[in-house]
Amino acid sequence: MSHYALFPLTLGQILREYAITELHLTLNAGKWNYDNWGHPHEAGVGTGAELWAWMGVSEVTTVDERWSGLRNALSGLFCASLGSLDTRRTLSPTVAFPLSGSTPTFAPHELRHASLPSENVCTENLTPFLKLLPCKSHAGLAALLNPQKVFDADWHGMGIHVIWKEDAGVELKLTLQAVFNPVRTSAGKRRDWNLQSLFDRTIERPCPVANSSSVTVILPEEEDHKITPENPTYADGLAIYGLSSSSNFTIPLNIGMHWPSEHSFHYPLPPLTPVAPLSVKRTIHGTTQTRGVLSVSVTNNSPQELLAGYLEMMPALLTLWMHTLKVEINSQLRSDLLSGLKYHPPSLQSNDRLSPSMLQAVLTIPPKTTLKISMEVNKAFLKYTEHPPDAMRGWDLPGAVFFPLPQLSHDTCSSCDWERIYTPTLLVDLPTPDFSMPYNVIILSCTLMTLIFGSIFNLLTRKWVVVEIQE
Amino acid sequence: MNSATFANTGSGFKDPRKLSFERDWIRRTVLASYWIVIILAFPFWWHLTSIERLALPTSQIRLQVQKNIIFPIAVHFDASITEQNPNLNSRVQTLLRDSAINEPGRWKGVDLRLQDRNDEASNLYTVALGEQTSIAHSRHLRVNKTDAQSATRLSSILSDLIAPPESSTSHSQRVVQYSNHYRLAFTLLNEGAAPNRFVETWDVQAALAEFIFPLISRLSILHNFTVESQVQYYAPLAFEPKRLTFGDTEASGLTQEDLTVFVNSAEWTLASSVSNDPVLHFVLFAPSETHSPMSIIDSEGRPTNQYSFLLPQWGSIFILNNEFNSSSLHLSYNDLKPVFCNFATQLAALLGVPPVPLGLSMEESSILSDWQLDALLRRRAFQNVQGSQDTLHSIVKLVDQINNMPVGQVVRDDVLDALASLHEAYRTAIASPALALRWSSRALSMASRAFFNPGMLALLYFPAEHKYAVYTPLFASISVPLVVALIRDFMAWRRGSQDDGRR
Repeated sequence: MSHYALFPLTLGQILREYAITELHLTLNAGKWNYDNWGHPHEAGVGTGAELWAWMGVSEVTTVDERWSGLRNALSGLFCASLGSLDTRRTLSPTVAFPLSGSTPTFAPHELRHASLPSENVCTENLTPFLKLLPCKSHAGLAALLNPQKVFDADWHGMGIHVIWKEDAGVELKLTLQAVFNPVRTSAGKRRDWNLQSLFDRTIERPCPVANSSSVTVILPEEEDHKITPENPTYADGLAIYGLSSSSNFTIPLNIGMHWPSEHSFHYPLPPLTPVAPLSVKRTIHGTTQTRGVLSVSVTNNSPQELLAGYLEMMPALLTLWMHTLKVEINSQLRSDLLSGLKYHPPSLQSNDRLSPSMLQAVLTIPPKTTLKISMEVNKAFLKYTEHPPDAMRGWDLPGAVFFPLPQLSHDTCSSCDWERIYTPTLLVDLPTPDFSMPYNVIILSCTLMTLIFGSIFNLLTRKWVVVEIQE
Repeated sequence: MNSATFANTGSGFKDPRKLSFERDWIRRTVLASYWIVIILAFPFWWHLTSIERLALPTSQIRLQVQKNIIFPIAVHFDASITEQNPNLNSRVQTLLRDSAINEPGRWKGVDLRLQDRNDEASNLYTVALGEQTSIAHSRHLRVNKTDAQSATRLSSILSDLIAPPESSTSHSQRVVQYSNHYRLAFTLLNEGAAPNRFVETWDVQAALAEFIFPLISRLSILHNFTVESQVQYYAPLAFEPKRLTFGDTEASGLTQEDLTVFVNSAEWTLASSVSNDPVLHFVLFAPSETHSPMSIIDSEGRPTNQYSFLLPQWGSIFILNNEFNSSSLHLSYNDLKPVFCNFATQLAALLGVPPVPLGLSMEESSILSDWQLDALLRRRAFQNVQGSQDTLHSIVKLVDQINNMPVGQVVRDDVLDALASLHEAYRTAIASPALALRWSSRALSMASRAFFNPGMLALLYFPAEHKYAVYTPLFASISVPLVVALIRDFMAWRRGSQDDGRR
């Protein structure tokens, strides 16, 4: 028996049924531009769908059974193709994805992580997401989430985070992040914005069951901007609008900002200084369909030495060759900067499928330098049944993950407080067969068989006679 | 002759007829060995490419389908009644027999006997004289003096208790399909959530403990239940209710048509997809300020005093019309009493619990008498047996009709298991309806599992024509020289034998 008030029943049932201690699901579209946008509020911004869950080991059902049930239940709930996050995608990278709540003591816990970079996020995912909120999209801040406007943003993503805390119970966090570009949508190339122009909606009424809801605006450093309504709480370069029923803001509330003295907005010219401490570029090159080189270049933008974990979760579509792994700075080999290398090659599962390979290493990146890692890869030749209907598009590979590690020296440094960084996804072109091949093979081999049979049979049964030619 | 001249020209060629392999019998042996290999290989090929179709126990299924589950019931009239009216027994018996002939559907599976002696069998029902006509403790009925005199009255009470009438088709469609496990979802739906005009909390646990749990613990012999509750805000209706005006007060009314589309499944998130168990929904609907008070109106547009309605096989809805005062964000146990009393009745109706016959009262404050429970057990077991018989029959028919349908070991095992369970259900029906129900439910689930086995669909989409398309390029081109050689040799042999005959 279970009673739900504010916690959504539909999600609660799933968590109970599969005994999930911690769950994170993110559905994102586009690639997060760390260099220009800095770090997101929620670290999980990898393109496509990413799901990871911590589950206690029990004797009744195995963790893998529950993981598969969880995937299917969530894909039903959110209308996403999470069902395809099967053993070909699932790994357990415990260092990069630790428990964020309390560490349970009642049972040993295991992690399952999978990502699907080719997942397209759209309205059918947003609607069930909004239904998890007590006031849905009828009141409160969620009323702003107009799908037409949100999905027009430069980047958008939603996340469901369930965290178990020993003293507080289960905590559910629903997040929706989007990056809007008012300059792109405005006719006069101005950067003025307000809620009405961004979302086509204003905040009509607060959600009556919300304890607090607030809008925070980060104020730009230049002075010539104006913010409306004009009486927010200022704190530390932020303007905060509290939306409780006792607040003195007029409803509907349409927060906005404008630059009265600026005629049109000009983008600052490059070179720009990246906002995030790390900039990562990851590419795959090589001209053939069977081999290639995966190269990652990591730049440390901060004046301190950085220690970063590097995690590569590669589906068995690519085989990484560890002996070709090279770490270079300015074309000079620097193998000493890569340590703690762990590599799990793809292993054959019971269902005749290959699990992904996992590469985990610690990188020491000197200040203001670019580290280049490269390794050779082999591209798999798939069975013809494993190809998707649109095989010619290529295969999406999930992005690599860089995550902070505790610094060796205990100096307090401002640039060390960074979170998980996802690189953009890659598209790889695998050798694609001609799909009429099976019938061609049948016809060809039949013809060959018939030829051989016919000639031998004729030789054995032919009757030789002498024909006299009348001259 | 020709060859002789050829040989005589002295060109060094041998006469072809003299070549060692150019003998008729060698050629014929070669040809025959080809054909023998083909004929021998044919059964192997046939076996390797055919679909696995295990034989189903068809005759057994036909036999079981004709059988029916019978529950013998013995009713004993206490001496206090039969003393005054000695031939009451036989008269009630005749009346009951008439009723069984007139309404065969209602009495199906029930074999009612009136017993003279009172042996302490477990499934014996007793009737005795009492102060008033009422159902007493387990399987005991008290009748007052006037009722005890009339055989018609007695027989009608008994038949209502033992074989409750299926009043109409709508009634039988209201009852949900039998399942081992149900989810009961109690939802408090706020249509709007204007400040101070919504319900935030409710004493659902106390109300459930008082009204629902006693009922489901009595029914636990039939089903397992999972109970869930939730509170939702902003659950709009999919239609605009009719505005009603009475003098200076306004109200909204729901017509009969509105009730059928009341559930707005697009906007209300009532259930999740976590299990396949059927869900029964019980919705307490709090209308928004603009729609309040809300009532159900009859065909002439007048409001009725009904605030709840039942959706067949889905659940029940209660419209809350409490007048809110500013502090009533909470529904207390007292507020919920009428609601959950109603939900309990609706739950019983949805699960097919037969009502207490008119004019009868319950002596003890028990939720459900043993008479009702037994009648329900018998009906559910009977329905399950019928369902599994139908399913088994359909499997046999389907497999007969579609020659491409594979029948694997799993399907066969399930069918055999279902048959065995059916047999057990027939056997245990004599002693215990509860056991019979358990076996019948197992039979039904096994039969359905066999029917929906995904393996049976595997080859339906790969017809035999595909196989021929693959084999023709090989077989056609190989068989032509083989057949032609056979015919040619046969002709040559016939000509040869005719020549011999002429000679």
